[in-house]
Amino acid sequence: MRVLLVEDDAALAESIARALRAESFAVDVADNGEDGGHLGSTEAYDVAVLDLGLPRRDGLSVLAEWRAGGRTLPVLILTARDAWSDKVLGFKAGADDYLVKPFRVEELVMRLRALVRRAAGHAASVIQCGPLSFEAQTGVFQLDGMPLKLTAFEWRVLSCLMLRKEAVVERLDLLERVYEGDADVDSNSLEVIIGRLRRKIGASLIETVRGLGYRLTAGPA
Amino acid sequence: MRLLPRSLSGRLLATAAVTILIALALAAAAIGHVLERFVMSGLDDRLDAQIAIVARAVGPDGTLDGAKAVDLPPFDQAGSGWAWEVIGPTATLRSASLRGADLPLPRDDAPPRPRERVRERPHPLEGTDASGRRIHYRIMRLPTLRGDALVLAAGPRAIVDRPIRAAMLPLLLSVLLLGGFLAVALVVQLRIGLRPLAKLSDRVAEVRAGHVRHITVEEPTELLPLVAELNALIDANEAAVARARGHVANLAHGLKTPLATLKLDLAEGDSRLREQIERMERQIRHHLGRARAAEPGGVVTRVALAPHLNDLIAAMARIHADRDIASSVNLMPLVQVHCDPQDLDEMLGNLLDNAWRHARAQVGVTARVVERMVRIEIADDGPGMTPAQIAEITRGHRLDERGEGHGFGLAISRELAELHGGTL
Repeated sequence: MRVLLVEDDAALAESIARALRAESFAVDVADNGEDGGHLGSTEAYDVAVLDLGLPRRDGLSVLAEWRAGGRTLPVLILTARDAWSDKVLGFKAGADDYLVKPFRVEELVMRLRALVRRAAGHAASVIQCGPLSFEAQTGVFQLDGMPLKLTAFEWRVLSCLMLRKEAVVERLDLLERVYEGDADVDSNSLEVIIGRLRRKIGASLIETVRGLGYRLTAGPA
Repeated sequence: MRLLPRSLSGRLLATAAVTILIALALAAAAIGHVLERFVMSGLDDRLDAQIAIVARAVGPDGTLDGAKAVDLPPFDQAGSGWAWEVIGPTATLRSASLRGADLPLPRDDAPPRPRERVRERPHPLEGTDASGRRIHYRIMRLPTLRGDALVLAAGPRAIVDRPIRAAMLPLLLSVLLLGGFLAVALVVQLRIGLRPLAKLSDRVAEVRAGHVRHITVEEPTELLPLVAELNALIDANEAAVARARGHVANLAHGLKTPLATLKLDLAEGDSRLREQIERMERQIRHHLGRARAAEPGGVVTRVALAPHLNDLIAAMARIHADRDIASSVNLMPLVQVHCDPQDLDEMLGNLLDNAWRHARAQVGVTARVVERMVRIEIADDGPGMTPAQIAEITRGHRLDERGEGHGFGLAISRELAELHGGTL
C-alpha cells in the first residue's frame, strides 16, 4: 500500500511518515500543494492524506482538480480546521474521510486501511482467500488461523494482491504500489519478494500470469 | 447652569418659544404705539384747530382782541379739562372753562420756560392740572411788535388713553391667539420633523437584532451622512470581529499542528505527557468553539435547513462509512432558520456525529416548525444515557474515552443554540 502524504509541516510529516512506514505503508511526502497535486495526478497511490492549508496551493483545490481529472483514489483530509462547515466543504470537494489535528496515529492508520479496503470494493473488514485471511483493519495476515510474519515489502505486495484477489495485478502496477517514489527500483526484486511470499504461504496461491503479472487465487480458475 | 434642555425637541421648543414670545411682545408694543400715535394725532389736530382760532385774537401790535377768540365747546365747559390761553405781552385771554384761573403749565416747565425756546409752530407738552389729571398741551409762540405772545391749548390725556385701553384687550387676545397657533404649529413641526430620528433609531435596533445588515434610509437628506457613517461603522465592526475570529482560529490551528506532532512522537511515550497534550487540545477546541460562537450582535441570516442537513448527513455517511447506518430525514421543505450558517453546521454536526457514533443501525432526523421555532430532533437507536449522564455531558464532561470526539460537542452545541435564542 502506497500513501501520498501532502503536509507542509516538516516535523509532523516526518512523524506521520515514520508511523505509517512502521505499519508497512510506502509513503511519499509532498510539502506543498503544487507538488502534491502533481504526484497525485501522475503516480499510482492507494490512498492520499491531504492537508488543507498548504503553501502554493490550497488542499481543497488540489482535491477538486484530482476529482475533475477523474482520479478516484481515496483521499483523507488531515487538517486543523475542525468546524463542521469545513468538513462539509471537504467532502463536497470529493474527500472520502476527514481527520482533525491533533489525532491519534492509530486512528489515522485504521482509517487509511479502511479507505483502501472500501476503494477495492470490500465491505467486510476480513478478506479471505483460501487458507489466507487478511484483517484489513489491523493489517494482520493469517494462514490457517496462524498469524503470518511479513516484512514491509512482503506485506505491501501481499495486501495489494489480496485486495484484488482472483484478479490479475499487473507487474508495473504492483511495483508502483510497493516502492516509494524516490526508491531505487530493481525490477528483479519483485520476483525475489514473490518467491519469498510463495515460500511463506504456499506456491499455489500466487499465480504468475506470463507477460501480465500476478494473481492471488484460492484455486485454479 | 444649563440654559438648553437635554432633549432635541426640548431645545427646539425652548428656542422657538422664547423667539415667539419676544416677537409677539414686540408686535403688541408696536401695534400699541401706532394706535397711540394715531389717537394722539386726532387730539393734536383738535387742539391745533383751537390754537388757530384763538391766535387770530393776537394783533400785530401785541394787543389781544377778546371778541376774536371764539370759545367753542367743550372749551367753554368748566372742569372738562379742555382749555386754552393766550398770553400776550400786555394781557391774557382764557377759555371760559378756566374761569379766570391760569392754565397750569406743565410742572417741569414752571417757572415758565423762556419764550425763546417755544417755537412758532404748535408742539406738544405733557403735564398735569390742579386736580392731578394728566393734560396734553399744544403750545405756539406768536411774535408781535411788542414782544412774543404764547398760545396754548390743552385737552385731557384721558381722551387718548381711553380708546387705547379699550383696544388693548382685543389686541392682547389676538396676540395670544396667534401665540397659541404658533405653539401648535411648533409642536406639529417637532413631531413631523423629529420622526426620522425615531425611525433611524428603529433601523439601528434592527441591525443590532440582526434582522438586517445595513441601515437603509432614503430621507431626510440631513440624516444621510450620518447613515453612511453608521453603515461604515457597522462594516468596520464586522471586519474587526471577523479579524479577531480569524486570529483566534489561526492561533488554534497553528497550535494544532505542533500538538499533532508532539502527540505522534509521544505515541508510545509517557502517558502523563500525553494526558497534558490532550488537555491542551481540549482547551484549544473549547475556546475555538467559543470564539466562533461569540459574535455579539452579529448579523444573522436566514438559512435553509435542508441543504445543511443533507450535506452534514452525507459527511456523516463518509466519516462513519464502516458503520452501516441508515438515516431517514423527515423535514418540511423550505424550512428556514435564523442562524449563522457555520454555527448551524457546528450545532447539527456535533449532534449528528454523536448519533452516528452511538446508533446501532438507524438515525432519524425530523424538523418541524413549532410556534415560530424550528424543532429539530435527532434520534438514534443506540443505548441512550441516564439523566445524570446527560447532565454531565452537556456541561462538557466527557463520558467515553474511546478516542474519537473531544467531549465538548454537546456543550458547544448547547452554547450555540442558546446564543441563537434556542435550546438543546
